[in-house]
Amino acid sequence: MTLKDQRFFLELSEEIGNHPDKQEILADYEMHVFEMLQEESIDDQNLYSELVKRLGTPQEIAQIWKQETIITPKRTQWLFVIINAGIFIGGALLTLSYNIFHWNWAELIWENLINIPFIIMLLYIMFWGLIGYEIGKEFGHGGYRLMQKTFLFSIVPNILLMYLIIFKIIPYTWFQPLLSFRFIVVCIVFTAFLYPVSMVGYRWGKKVSV
Amino acid sequence: MFNRELVKGSTSLLVLQLLNERDMYGYELVKEMAMRSDHHFQIKEGTLYPALHKLEKQEYIDYYWENREKGPARKYYCITSQGKEILDERTNEWHRYVQVMNNLIRRNES
Repeated sequence: MTLKDQRFFLELSEEIGNHPDKQEILADYEMHVFEMLQEESIDDQNLYSELVKRLGTPQEIAQIWKQETIITPKRTQWLFVIINAGIFIGGALLTLSYNIFHWNWAELIWENLINIPFIIMLLYIMFWGLIGYEIGKEFGHGGYRLMQKTFLFSIVPNILLMYLIIFKIIPYTWFQPLLSFRFIVVCIVFTAFLYPVSMVGYRWGKKVSV
Repeated sequence: MFNRELVKGSTSLLVLQLLNERDMYGYELVKEMAMRSDHHFQIKEGTLYPALHKLEKQEYIDYYWENREKGPARKYYCITSQGKEILDERTNEWHRYVQVMNNLIRRNES
């Protein structure tokens, strides 16, 4: 390593910071520059500027790697689990506000929502399709297990609510006039339908992963 | 030279295409891309490794180390069966797209 490329790698090392794969990343670039110097005659005086011209500035390179660490399998998984839990918590707060506190704003939202149950269901199905799509797009074939895990964790609030309703732990009257026998059956069928929807989303996302 | 965004969007597909022919190391991939395109297709070499890393994460490529008599060991990248599958899908789509675009452009020119 010459002084000129040492400067490049020192800057790159500093810019990459605490990236978990820092050593492998630096080793890849060092090897690349080694091969370049073996095969091409590059003037040592212009080496730093040549490296910047060919590879990009250390800041630009580090920026790409930093963006890459933003989307990790764990973060993606928990993002969707939290969003779905958030939807349920929002729904629970609205139900309590409407049934216990009888707040005007809650009644207004409630009245509007019970008029469009199938639109809400459609939007919710799209959310599950989006889970699969985003995982497929970002993680390709490698995202298959992540998709299954995310589905399993995300579905917990749905199963829990179904359990609470079917075994009448939550008063039926809270959801009147929505909670008919037909509606409960539709909800169960719809929940079973969420996995194939996520899979379709995943396959679609996988298609655009490259 | 081509539009930067167009080049960026096609890098992964080209990497898969080259690796479908034979296993290559990073510098070799850059050289091969430049050579086959008469130097019209020159990526910022620093962007190649994040692209390779992503393809690896997606399980479309894998790598192995090969020792050499002279110099440090080389990291060779190879395509996986899933990589071949997605490459087939995307190249078919690409051919259809080029065909349609050519038809449209020719129709507009005549």
